[in-house]
Amino acid sequence: MERMTAVLSVAALLSAAASVGRADSEYDNTVRAGVYYLHYALSADDISGPYVPPGLNIDVPDVVTLYLAYVRKLSSHWDFEFALGYPPLTKTEGKGPATVGSVPYNGQVISTARWVAPTVLFNYEFRDPSASLRPYVGVGINYTHFIDKQSTAQGDAVSGGPTSISLPDSVGPAATVGLVYRLTPRWSFYASYSASMVNARLTANTAGVIRTTHIEFWPLALVVSAGFSF
Amino acid sequence: MIKTGCTLGVLVMAGMLAACGSDSSSATVATSNARGTLIYDPPLRIASLTAAALQSQLSSTASGQQLAELAGTPVCGVDFYYEQYWTVDPVGAPATASGALMVPTGTAAQCTGARPIVLYAHGTQTDKAFNIADVSNTANTEGALIAAVFAAQGYIVVATNYTGYDTSSLSYHPFLNGDQQSKDMIDSLTAARAALPHSFTPATTDSGQLFVTGYSEGGYVAMATVKALQAAGTPPAASAPMSGPYALEALVDAVFYGNVNIGSTVLSPLLTTSYQRAYGNIYQYTTDVYEPAYAPNIESLLPSIMPVDTLFQQGKLPETALFNSTTPVIPGNPLLTAALAVPTNPVFAAGFGSPNLVTNDYRLSYVLDAAANPDGAVPVPQPGVPLAANPQQGLRKATNLNDMRNGNWVPMSPMLMCGGDQDPTVFFSVDTGTMQAHWAALPTGLVTVLDVNAPPTPGDPFAAVQAGFQQALANLIAAGGPQAAVESYHTTVAPFCTVAARGFFSQF
Repeated sequence: MERMTAVLSVAALLSAAASVGRADSEYDNTVRAGVYYLHYALSADDISGPYVPPGLNIDVPDVVTLYLAYVRKLSSHWDFEFALGYPPLTKTEGKGPATVGSVPYNGQVISTARWVAPTVLFNYEFRDPSASLRPYVGVGINYTHFIDKQSTAQGDAVSGGPTSISLPDSVGPAATVGLVYRLTPRWSFYASYSASMVNARLTANTAGVIRTTHIEFWPLALVVSAGFSF
Repeated sequence: MIKTGCTLGVLVMAGMLAACGSDSSSATVATSNARGTLIYDPPLRIASLTAAALQSQLSSTASGQQLAELAGTPVCGVDFYYEQYWTVDPVGAPATASGALMVPTGTAAQCTGARPIVLYAHGTQTDKAFNIADVSNTANTEGALIAAVFAAQGYIVVATNYTGYDTSSLSYHPFLNGDQQSKDMIDSLTAARAALPHSFTPATTDSGQLFVTGYSEGGYVAMATVKALQAAGTPPAASAPMSGPYALEALVDAVFYGNVNIGSTVLSPLLTTSYQRAYGNIYQYTTDVYEPAYAPNIESLLPSIMPVDTLFQQGKLPETALFNSTTPVIPGNPLLTAALAVPTNPVFAAGFGSPNLVTNDYRLSYVLDAAANPDGAVPVPQPGVPLAANPQQGLRKATNLNDMRNGNWVPMSPMLMCGGDQDPTVFFSVDTGTMQAHWAALPTGLVTVLDVNAPPTPGDPFAAVQAGFQQALANLIAAGGPQAAVESYHTTVAPFCTVAARGFFSQF
């Protein structure tokens, strides 16, 4: 959480600094709400550790979650965006042999976790500020903090007992491309496609026996949202 | 203010989301190091195999097929747990050890509910990382054996790896230390009983019926455990020590007289290190016992992370030459000098050569004590086969103390002693024969001796086991000649005696 606070503080400072000298528009602040379609392009090493047969890997299916963001206008073309999805329940599935011993593995949900992934982006909007349709691009930083990490009953059966899961926080780059359609001075619609990178070392502890895998995923998010400016 | 409020609102929301939920937890970690304390509760289940999967796994190798044929088709699946627990070292200090808890699974009546426990002691292992619970390790043939013979037929199995192996905190193995190893066995049982209610199959419970068995070193440990359980007032329902060096003083005397057993160059360092660490009177310097070429690292050599063949290749141990082929001469004692000469028996003669492991001086000091304070079983069995009355030499004191004749005890529950009469590693007549003679006055039926190499008697419940062993021995001779059969004899007896033990236990 300390790293997350640091990221947010830096973002707030940048926002305050950038607001100096901006070109004023009618409304400086916008809140957005919408839907996040999240695809995990996941790549993981095979799980390693004691009593792990070769070829055990994991996969994470797509999720849909609530998208929330606060956008601060910095100039006619520059925005600062602080985006946050409602922490999606992310299921980790076994990928590999059908069974481990006689315990089903492939396709079984072996763990779940939620993750809080605040992302700060600096977006550049093209075209004239008065245009109703403006494309934009942005870059920024993603911070991911995993919460509520649970091994499922099936995961415990595969692992060999009650299992605690550790996933350290991750900081990585983020980028977005999108379109904003201004319906009224206050209301707009947004569609964007974002990518970020999350690196984590998953560690599972079952009765003191540690198994690990390094996972790297690029959450690709298609976001459709509505914004209210004030 | 409105702008600030909104920004704070988002941040507060982030904080709330981050705070929600809680992570899953792992096993409870023991805070006590009292004997028998399970360190992780529940213990790790290493593998879970249905009866069909177990059968399939056994069928995948030639040795597994033979084992399945002998043990019978699995009736139950088996969950293999890896337990870690607290026990004590030879001087009573806390030490950790690990082992296996094998729990039968499945819906058949004999696979669930209240089940008997088989407490098993394994044979000597040179691999320091040996873990009998790791059934995925194809080298763990003994784990597969007891799973197939006992667990797959409805017995809960508890088997320690012993202190000094696997993740044990003890840096050496208390080899053939009856007091320590029996405590280790009992502590593994206590820990397993604590683990059972928290297993994946808590409906499978301890019926309270306990059987104790083990092979080779484990045969000795099994008998020592019976002795300790009786002393604690909790004798097992029955026991089956198999091919164990029970009459330890007699066996080591026989070896020093020249009847060098197969494996002696490996067993000797294990024995001297064990007793040196326990009693401190085996040697002042390792060169007191061992030739200079081997003495420097001998104390920490075994068990080893290196295969024993590598130790031989690297010259850290001679492969067979325990004693020098130039044998000591005892002035004025031609009979003893002759007794120490290289024997004519080629199996024993293989224990002589150069370079060799044990110095002639040490051999001489041992044999002079054996001659002055003879064991009643060596060289010629005396009535009652008594222990040496007053041994003075350090190693003889230790073997005397740990000999199963010591303590004037007798089994209180039925015991089967199984072995093969031509065993070149643990001599049947010297060990099983000595204990049989020692307990000859006991009521009929309390102690049963089974020689798997004896001619089968029609109607004898063990006739099939004897016939099976003798066929296996004939197959060995046909495939590799007599020498191959001699070298494999000790290990070939094991599955047949184990099946005999199961048959014996099934009577109770």
